[in-house]
Amino acid sequence: MSADRILQFELARLNAHLPDQQITLKDALSSLNPQVVAKDGSKHKFERMELEYISKIVHADDWDKLRLPILIGVNPKLGRGTAEISGEVEVKVISQVLGKTCRDQEIVIYRPEIAVVRAKLPTTTQYFFMVG
Amino acid sequence: MAKTIGVTPTRMELLKLKQRVSLAQKGHDLLHEKMDALVIEFFGIVKRIREVRAGTMQQLSSAYRALSICFAMQGTIETYQAAREVTKVAEVDISTRHVMGILVPVVEAKPIERHALARGYGIHTTSSTLDDASREFERALGDLIKLAELEEGAREIALELEKTKRRVNALEYVILPNLKSMVKFISMRLDEMERENFSRLKRIKAMLEGRE
Repeated sequence: MSADRILQFELARLNAHLPDQQITLKDALSSLNPQVVAKDGSKHKFERMELEYISKIVHADDWDKLRLPILIGVNPKLGRGTAEISGEVEVKVISQVLGKTCRDQEIVIYRPEIAVVRAKLPTTTQYFFMVG
Repeated sequence: MAKTIGVTPTRMELLKLKQRVSLAQKGHDLLHEKMDALVIEFFGIVKRIREVRAGTMQQLSSAYRALSICFAMQGTIETYQAAREVTKVAEVDISTRHVMGILVPVVEAKPIERHALARGYGIHTTSSTLDDASREFERALGDLIKLAELEEGAREIALELEKTKRRVNALEYVILPNLKSMVKFISMRLDEMERENFSRLKRIKAMLEGRE
């Protein structure tokens, strides 16, 4: 049974890096030290350059609607290398980064696109593994 | 060879094993996704390291060239003397960022490039070549700090990647096949028992009919 316990521990650890509470882009921009505290108590800092880049993409009225970090949801049910991002403003940001047009509440992206998003927004995006 | 020794062929055990297979399969899928994501991160950071390293090497090369000129123009002893007068060291702010549970360092250096007057050595007794060399080295230091941050991040990601790969392989090639073979063994044993039971009942029925 120890293999099962290790597996359960691994599955529980998969999302330990997620923030306890997301912060809005508006708060992050106004903060001197923009960061969030993860579930495991560690800190995740946002790069100011990225925040400024996002602030140029998102209209100022939506700054308090965009919650950071943007979560890239990895769900094995969608197929290997596929991820989804939900939220109106979040989808707008990701679409802009990828040069796509999407007006839905949800966007599905694939591995090469994930690489592009992560390269452009390494601190303001985070992976979220859908375990349930 | 599959491990079927010591397995109790009961329906309860079969149910438990099926649950374990489902958990292991789910874990395998998720860990595989994590591994893929780590590979993306790793190659992304390696690409950046290559770019930053090339820039750093170029910067260091021009810094050493400037230092050689400084040695030639100002003299080695005077240059060393001026270097000893520089007291301030670069200030860095080290924080962290998460990459799937891995804490990757973020090193932010306060502006390293300074004005000639702020460096600490006397400008009356030194040549302008020393200023050039100092400026080039300050730029190189900034690049080296960035490179150190990226290399440490790559090292951490590589370690996690290795660990995850080992777990995925253990699940794929050891745990899941073992569990599946145990499920198969119990199913076959239960089927066999059912068939035995059926034929026993048929025989008993035939015997009873024969007696009547």
